[in-house]
Amino acid sequence: MSDLERMAVSRRRFLQIAAATGVVVACGPATTGGGAAATGGKISGTITVSYPDEAGFKPKYVEQAAAALKAQFSGLAVTIDLQKINSDDYYTKLLLRLDGSDVPDVTHVGGNLIGELADAGYIEPLDDYVKQWDEWQYYPDSVKNGVSYKGKVWAIPYGLDMRWLYYRKDDLQKAGLPADWKPANVQGILDAAAAVKKANLPNVLPYALYAGPAGSGGTADHAFVPLLWAYGGQLQDQGGKWIGDSPATRKVMAYYAKAYGDGLSPKDILTATKPWTAMREKIGNGQLALLFEGGWVYGGWAAKDKAATQANVGYNLHPTESGGPSFTVGGPGTCWYITAKSKNKQGAWEFIKAVNTKDIVAKLNIEDPHPVARTDSANVAEFKADPYLVASTEALTKAKFTPVDAAYPKVQQAIQKATARVAAGEVSATEGAQRYTDDLKQAVGADKVTTQS
Amino acid sequence: MTVAGAGAIGPRSIGLGRTFKRNRLYFAGLTPAALLLALFFVGPALWALGSSFTNRALVGIDAANPRFVGLDNYTRLFGDPDFARVIVNSIVFVVGSAIIGQFILGLGLALLIDHAQHRGFRAANFVYAAVLLAWVDPTLIAGFLWVAMFDFYYGSLNVALGLFGLGPVNWFGQAPMLAVIIANVWRGTAFTMLIFLGALRTVPGDVYEAARVDGANAWRRFWDHTLPMLRPIVALTLLSITMSTFGTFIVIQVLTNGGPSFQTEVIALYAYHEAFQAHEVGYGSTIAVAMLALNLSFAVFYLRWSRARA
Repeated sequence: MSDLERMAVSRRRFLQIAAATGVVVACGPATTGGGAAATGGKISGTITVSYPDEAGFKPKYVEQAAAALKAQFSGLAVTIDLQKINSDDYYTKLLLRLDGSDVPDVTHVGGNLIGELADAGYIEPLDDYVKQWDEWQYYPDSVKNGVSYKGKVWAIPYGLDMRWLYYRKDDLQKAGLPADWKPANVQGILDAAAAVKKANLPNVLPYALYAGPAGSGGTADHAFVPLLWAYGGQLQDQGGKWIGDSPATRKVMAYYAKAYGDGLSPKDILTATKPWTAMREKIGNGQLALLFEGGWVYGGWAAKDKAATQANVGYNLHPTESGGPSFTVGGPGTCWYITAKSKNKQGAWEFIKAVNTKDIVAKLNIEDPHPVARTDSANVAEFKADPYLVASTEALTKAKFTPVDAAYPKVQQAIQKATARVAAGEVSATEGAQRYTDDLKQAVGADKVTTQS
Repeated sequence: MTVAGAGAIGPRSIGLGRTFKRNRLYFAGLTPAALLLALFFVGPALWALGSSFTNRALVGIDAANPRFVGLDNYTRLFGDPDFARVIVNSIVFVVGSAIIGQFILGLGLALLIDHAQHRGFRAANFVYAAVLLAWVDPTLIAGFLWVAMFDFYYGSLNVALGLFGLGPVNWFGQAPMLAVIIANVWRGTAFTMLIFLGALRTVPGDVYEAARVDGANAWRRFWDHTLPMLRPIVALTLLSITMSTFGTFIVIQVLTNGGPSFQTEVIALYAYHEAFQAHEVGYGSTIAVAMLALNLSFAVFYLRWSRARA
């Protein structure tokens, strides 16, 4: 009767949250400790650093920072809680933990989550700390804005997010396209995908367009949002209302209908567990021809075979409705946070400083390729010598940023629901755009949603 | 003529004190079970009920200050087009997987194996073992096993079809509900089979003797004698598998996670997704309460039906 056992497990889970939530209600929003940033005081005790890592680039730098810290402060012990799971699973686990009292002092999640974490009172504002940190001057204002919410700084980024439209030169050439392919406009992506499909290359998928909840954050940030911008649409209007049905939304949905209806993008993206893992791997080994993905995924291919990656993987900015490669989607990337309930915030801050030195930021971003968050790290010779990193850093000047808004993660989920319907072929593009309005209303409340005709 | 104790009703018109004195051994025996039920079932159910009247969330402003929102979540639930879809999916899944699949297949297997064992066919034991093996598999493993079967590129089913020159089928794209139903039937049939195998042994043989003398054929013997005698068991089994199937989570989560789109999203998955992916614990609890209410109504229906002609 294991179904009954299953139900019992989920009930226990609810009970855990019941207990945990009760604690939070009792505590209320955490207050920010006055004078927490006092320097010169003796730093001792224990700090716990919790972070997720699947790719394997970060652990050695975290260890290095911890060792440096222990050398600097003899009384300080650093416990490292490395979780080898993807960032989505980590985030759910972290939230359940932050609800309780046994929280890590330092945590490491996406900068796009600052709004909702700050609103929940889970994270500590860092203004008092950065004020006394000389090296904060190396972070450009755009980066500082990216990690600010309601007038306060909440997190320290190490590398910034940007995305590329990746293409396999070998696959496109076999389909009769040039090795230095550049789409003339958005339609050019679908045309290239159609050419690859027509060439009928064995074991090669033409294109992967993330859709549905399985695509996770990628469905919005690596597919729907850049397409929306490409067709001249916006996520929010001037008054901050989220835009549902609009001419641009309908065009995006029509693009989805074409990509999935014509079999250019595989339907298993909608049901697979973490389809992005498979898609990144496939483009790395030539089994996928086109994919708009995070700049950082290049690191996985380069770590495996740098020469082959440089020879076969091309990258372009995202095209628009009327023009070729034009823009990318930017973001603050994964950041370091101090939790509000931490009992050793000063120790936690010292760790964050130690893991964000000029040297570590440069080296980590070379392996795990991102434009660096602190500009002085870009002056490291090794960083300057890497054409991919230079191009990625340059691309940031053409980046459009997703909103720093506590409701944005909910909007991303509305986007997942809406794109899934069209990709699964359940509704037409027009109806799909209309249903997106309903999804937004469910997610953020009807009064915060508008439409454009 | 009950085969097993299908819910004994206690004496009615006796004073409370006397009832307690008479039955104190029963009470003592029931206490541990009652405590566990209270801890693991009634408590969380009450918590979910309470939570369903709030906007409690895992993150965001509502996590810091959860508020009482009255019936807002219920208003939202009944106006939620996704919820209507989830209910339809759940009914299709329960009817297909529990009632048509597990129940009819399980009963059929039990009758066949029972018959074969009476005749001394040894092969029946292999069938018995095979069905049982599917059941003792941990659910998660069973789920991954079916992922491996249904996979578009490398799945056993498509490889097998390929041997006959048939094109690969996108199981989750074309028939996702059927795919999850098949996996769940495979996994759960043993339970029904075991119950009925046990029940069939309690049917006295002389009933069949008499029927045979009267010239009843196999179908009539089954319909007139076996089924009525199994009636309370039928009701209890249906109740049990309906409720457990209604709460199915792991098999579907592993196979499709509710997709593509909402095509296999059943109520337990929806409650989980709203509570833990959308981080809206209040709304997730509301869905869980709706699920509990539906399960209770199934229970009342089946129990009434089982007593109707008892």
